Amino acid sequence: MDILRSIGITEPVIQFMLVNAILGLSIYLTLYTGMFSLANAGFMAVGAFTGVILTQEAGLPLGIGVLGGMALAGLVAIPIGLPVLRLHDIYLAIATIGFGEVVRILILNFDPLMSSITGQTVALTGGALGIKGIPKIAETWHLLLFLGIAAYCIARLHRSRFGRAMAAVRQDERVAANMGVNVVYVKNVVFILSAILAGGAGALSGHLTRIISPDGYGFDQAVQILAFAVLGGTGSIAGPIVGGIVLTGLPEVLRFASQYRGVINGLVLLLMIVYVPGGLVNPVGWARLWRRLRGPTPDA
Amino acid sequence: MRTRLFGLLMAFAILVMPFAAFAQDDVAMGADMAEACPAPANLPESITIGAVLTLSGGASVYGTTQQQGINLAISQINESGYLGEGTTLSIIFEDSASENEQAISAMTKLVEEDGVTMVLGPTLSREAFAADPVAQENGTVVMGVSNTAAGITDMGEFVFRNSLPEAAVIPGVVAQATANLGLTKVGLIYANDDDFTVSGYNFFRQSFIDNGVEIIGEETYATGDVDFRTQLTNLIAAEPDVIAMSALATEGVQIILQARELGFEGALMGGNGFNSPAVLEQTGEASNGLLVGAAWNIASTNPLSTAFMAAYEAAYSARPDQFAAQAYTGTWMFATALRCADSVDRTAVRDALAGLAEFATPLGSFSFDENRNPVHDPVVQVAQDGAFSVLGAE
Repeated sequence: MDILRSIGITEPVIQFMLVNAILGLSIYLTLYTGMFSLANAGFMAVGAFTGVILTQEAGLPLGIGVLGGMALAGLVAIPIGLPVLRLHDIYLAIATIGFGEVVRILILNFDPLMSSITGQTVALTGGALGIKGIPKIAETWHLLLFLGIAAYCIARLHRSRFGRAMAAVRQDERVAANMGVNVVYVKNVVFILSAILAGGAGALSGHLTRIISPDGYGFDQAVQILAFAVLGGTGSIAGPIVGGIVLTGLPEVLRFASQYRGVINGLVLLLMIVYVPGGLVNPVGWARLWRRLRGPTPDA
Repeated sequence: MRTRLFGLLMAFAILVMPFAAFAQDDVAMGADMAEACPAPANLPESITIGAVLTLSGGASVYGTTQQQGINLAISQINESGYLGEGTTLSIIFEDSASENEQAISAMTKLVEEDGVTMVLGPTLSREAFAADPVAQENGTVVMGVSNTAAGITDMGEFVFRNSLPEAAVIPGVVAQATANLGLTKVGLIYANDDDFTVSGYNFFRQSFIDNGVEIIGEETYATGDVDFRTQLTNLIAAEPDVIAMSALATEGVQIILQARELGFEGALMGGNGFNSPAVLEQTGEASNGLLVGAAWNIASTNPLSTAFMAAYEAAYSARPDQFAAQAYTGTWMFATALRCADSVDRTAVRDALAGLAEFATPLGSFSFDENRNPVHDPVVQVAQDGAFSVLGAE
């Protein structure tokens, strides 16, 4: 632990790494099914605000807050997924960015909106400044447990009939449909599962940062979540976990570089993408890089 | 006899010289505190403080000028030997990238790994709400130099700020304007459906009562309204010296234009929402005589402020803004707390900082109240032909 601390990986950094690993897993699910969705920051916001309101306003324990955040994120995903998942590729990405903005602006204006509907003063989401003074009640073991359960469930899912249907949909939707896979069903269920994971990560992170505000869940965060999965690699479940950990830890480890921190951080990411294009957890990519570095072999 | 006289003279000279050195340069920062607190003798050779600033990300424009203000103060403190012979003050800057998570990591690194004596920042209020509890739990002083949101210092006794919250500016503006312009009658207009404008109205109302100004009328409107002629006609009929507006800029611009259109020639007074060149651009000559408060203004005639501006321009070839002035002042306040505590013990330093009173700074005569919030007179700006100048400067 002391070695980790000396290079800048303190306990809060480890906690954010774990949260980001969960977020990486949430977008991994949709990417694995061939859906380029950027809605996860929005679901994270739903989970964070629901979780924090449940623990702070209703006085419920953290576990209920996290479950509530997951449940509401999952519920929101149902009416969003049905129309939006008919879109593909970049069109789906744009539609889900729109969803993220709608969530952000709804939370921003939630109090005056609800006040005007109910006729009473509602003060739940706190407008632009958000909810502050949240006690830090999420512990590292909560996050480890959540990540462990999520990873185990996804690993089991991969080996199930549904998991193979997910892979089939990614490779070719029409072929999958011809083989009897209910494509609409598979895509919507995966979208909901992904929302539930993002909602859980949001609820947990809300109890780490002591303040949550709508501007923390904008487009930047959506792209950041995508980067966890892309950098880590979407070939296996370990990819997004490693991606989340590396992308969170790297800026902290680079603090010694002071004003060059951003430059070095960007350069390292660029080199990773260029030389190991399949992501960090990608044996084939590393083998290819090794061959390239070693130069042409005599028998080649 | 002669030798005794000579000895007396020498003793006198030795005693008086240090004060004389400051006296001949009475605009030097920290001069008043150098007199109040003796030169420290027990400080270690090097003292390290920290700063969590938004050096990158969305709010990097603020963090960068804050860093320059702090660096200027550090070099002045070390050159003048403010912390005593052989003691140097150094600083570790940590970037929060304008993100709450990184602000927490940066604060944790500074107070737990680097073990700094005190921390300046974080730049944004939301970062302060996220990261200040880390310093509070560790028993390390943290002082915001740009946090204006309500409730910052409620996080604990080690949390300070030197940036005037919105609620502190209005009473100061009313007091100074009343004294300067001899106001006796005021009309109030505000939006009654918005937190910000309603709380601003309450501060205006209380401040006018405290200053003995008669309130001749109160009018309300709803956010989004565009026609204020009915309300303004009612107010103007009672012949006020000043119309105070608790409004956001959008409605504020229309209120200014329509008040002038109805022939009102008295002063206008606005809250924080009016502290923007855009309001002046949109209202033109109509806003002549508009009074708005701010924590610091570049046109301030305070000698420490002009000295700070000259030093800043010499160092960076750029004009400072309010963020630089507040960061510069904050660094000097930390140095003064160290000097007066004559110790790097966290609690002693905290108590010395909390006890700072009537410290002459570029922001004016500065004290902390019992909740570690700043107390100093805001600068009252008056608009004339599209530009703000300081009220009573000429």
